[in-house]
Amino acid sequence: MKRRLPWWLGGILMSLLLLFTFSVFGADRPIGASTYVPYYAGILFGMDPEQYTYLQEIEKPGAWEGVMLLGALVGGLFTSVFITKSFRISVMPSAWKRYKNNSVKSRLVWSFISGFFLIVGARLAGGCTSGHFLSGMSQTAFSSMIFGGVVLVTLLITGKFFYNKGASK
Amino acid sequence: MSMSEYIDFVLDRTENMYNIVQYEGHGSFWMVFFIGILFGGIIQYTRVDKFEKIAGFAMGKDTIIPKMLFLAIGITSIALYFAIKMGYASYHVKPMIISGLVIGGILFGISMAILGKCPGTGPVSIAEGRVDVLVGAVGGIFGGYVFTKYYDTIFKPLMGENHGKISLVDVSGEHATFFVLLYGIALIIIAIAIPKMELLDEADLEQLEK
Repeated sequence: MKRRLPWWLGGILMSLLLLFTFSVFGADRPIGASTYVPYYAGILFGMDPEQYTYLQEIEKPGAWEGVMLLGALVGGLFTSVFITKSFRISVMPSAWKRYKNNSVKSRLVWSFISGFFLIVGARLAGGCTSGHFLSGMSQTAFSSMIFGGVVLVTLLITGKFFYNKGASK
Repeated sequence: MSMSEYIDFVLDRTENMYNIVQYEGHGSFWMVFFIGILFGGIIQYTRVDKFEKIAGFAMGKDTIIPKMLFLAIGITSIALYFAIKMGYASYHVKPMIISGLVIGGILFGISMAILGKCPGTGPVSIAEGRVDVLVGAVGGIFGGYVFTKYYDTIFKPLMGENHGKISLVDVSGEHATFFVLLYGIALIIIAIAIPKMELLDEADLEQLEK
């Protein structure tokens, strides 16, 4: 069995999944994957939904994505164990070692900080790669095109300055 | 809140999550769970959850992410347009909150380049055993907590004015079919035209050779 799907097949499958999810046969809504984070934060930090307007706003999409996330974890685990065989416990991506540094502490501290701002950013914009890029731009939404453009530019600028060339090592 | 109250709270909220999804009318619990499995499976099987793909794209060394993303958007935009015309789906456009989109996009872009994940690919990576991403997710949970806590006082004002939900389909009116086709085909051409570059993970390759 193939260990990896080519990008074009992945794009077509993702498109079919999006269409199914959008359709009345699926969920009649877009796919999103960042609202579940504050939703789960609300649960884990014991925040009473009646006291926080944001929890009230995201009550429904948060729950929907919360369930989808559980499915994604199962799908990811199953595929990594049985199909791609890439399951392994690791703390340091190979490319971080090559293009950034060798320090586990540095990787974990940066992971925490970037994880924090990733969610703050997504919630400020009202969506992420799934909600804005995939679902939003498929709906030809201008909000998603603005988000997409800003993210692409900042992503490439950050990549250029944050990592080093790493030719040797 | 005592420990037992906290556990009750978590269980109540979890049950509530199930009930909302099951009875909200956007697919049953199992339907949404199934969509999640496919979502995670596709991301994992195409390996786009890897640090080397997202951070690699940021470094200009890998283009699998934009190729796959633009292809998926191109196809979906055309097919969805016609599915909606036939009454099988509807648009759910996100609002134009300019400063939220720009400030959020900048924070998101920087963080995505450093973490090498986004909120959709992150969990798939964690399921694959990546501890650094789990630490990132803990950071994300704190981000979600801070955002929720200070939503009214800091973040909502920061997002700025809402200019409504506008899309290409809305503004092109009766020419919508033409513009959607143009948009979708252009994205598909871009996806194919972006030169294919790949940054591979040596550790994965070693694992495959075993």
